[in-house]
Amino acid sequence: MQRKDLLLEPVKHIRINGKLTVDQLVQQFKNSGSFGAGRLASACDIYERMVRDDECTIFLALAGAVVPAGMRSLIADLIRKRYVDVVVSTGANMVHDTIEALGDHHYKGHWFVDDYMLYKYHIYRIYDVFVPEEAFVKLDYKLSEIFDEIADENKGKSLSSREFAWELGKRLKDSNSILRAAYESDVPLFLPALRDSEFGFIHWLHASKKSRKRALLVDAFKDVPEIVGMCQRSARNGMVVIGGGVPRNTIQSAALASKKGMDYAVIVTMDRPETGGLSGSTLEETVSWGKVKNRANKVMVIGDAMVVFPLMVASVMERLGERFKRKPAFGGKQKR
Amino acid sequence: MKKPENRQRFCGNCGNHNAYDYPDRIFCTRRYAKDEDPVVETLWCCGEWNPSSQECYCVEEANNKRNSK
Repeated sequence: MQRKDLLLEPVKHIRINGKLTVDQLVQQFKNSGSFGAGRLASACDIYERMVRDDECTIFLALAGAVVPAGMRSLIADLIRKRYVDVVVSTGANMVHDTIEALGDHHYKGHWFVDDYMLYKYHIYRIYDVFVPEEAFVKLDYKLSEIFDEIADENKGKSLSSREFAWELGKRLKDSNSILRAAYESDVPLFLPALRDSEFGFIHWLHASKKSRKRALLVDAFKDVPEIVGMCQRSARNGMVVIGGGVPRNTIQSAALASKKGMDYAVIVTMDRPETGGLSGSTLEETVSWGKVKNRANKVMVIGDAMVVFPLMVASVMERLGERFKRKPAFGGKQKR
Repeated sequence: MKKPENRQRFCGNCGNHNAYDYPDRIFCTRRYAKDEDPVVETLWCCGEWNPSSQECYCVEEANNKRNSK
């Protein structure tokens, strides 16, 4: 490489003249090409490529408390439009999705508050979002009955976490629910860390009932061949990661096990790589494992997903236009 | 603020209490496990009462609400 090759494209300065659409603003970010602005613009370009690629299966990883913070309807809409093909989420995000599906709410609160006072009022805090304890208790009560029903219907047969999510989505009526949208749109939704959420304690409640003869069985290992098979059958694979953690690694590991490696990758995180934790690990580090291809279209955006992801989706939807219809990666009923 | 009356035998200061309809009703996991109606009044009490480690406003507010009626 020669010196002149390093000085090809000058930074164009951002201009804000009057009204701008989201994508026009993102194009200004692209003109700058620098820091977070450049990374966000690249993320939009890569996500647009994924959506336009008919042979790409798009995996969405959901970690962090984005559902209680207000990203629930956005994710449900992406599922219904088939701008994602497979969702892998923390159990907690689906717990909060179910809380709202059952009619309860999350509330705008504040991070600067007397937490012991909240404790005494039975109110839980997620940074600046408040959830009343009743929302969880009513969820526990209602879902333990639903767990009874699922266990009875399945007569001792164990379910994968995808099948469990499908059963749950089938029983929720709220069209804004992510679980319901996945059920209606036939989009597989995996919950690899299901036990590490309120679902685990609901199962305890359900199984502890004196009259309960047979408890619901979910086998986390059943997820593995299912998700690896999805990667294997796809000509290309792409991932959009919000946060990281177990959902990110579930997707990446499936790409590795299928000997494919991701062709597209967008990660939105605020975590750092120095601790060796997965959520902050760079995409280059992921290349070393073979989970993401070296030549993949990839970018990591360092920023708050609650700001970055809606901007990204709005920009790409604007580019695609209202008439755009994406071919679903999976068709037919996917329960069994 | 007045200290909650933790020593009184109420469901609302039992070790098994969780808010169900704050401050009036609570959810009792022990009753649930025994197939009995788990939603009970905060100011009710059963023979299995055991003192709670949680200091909360349930009993105090339920009492205030009852007295103001």
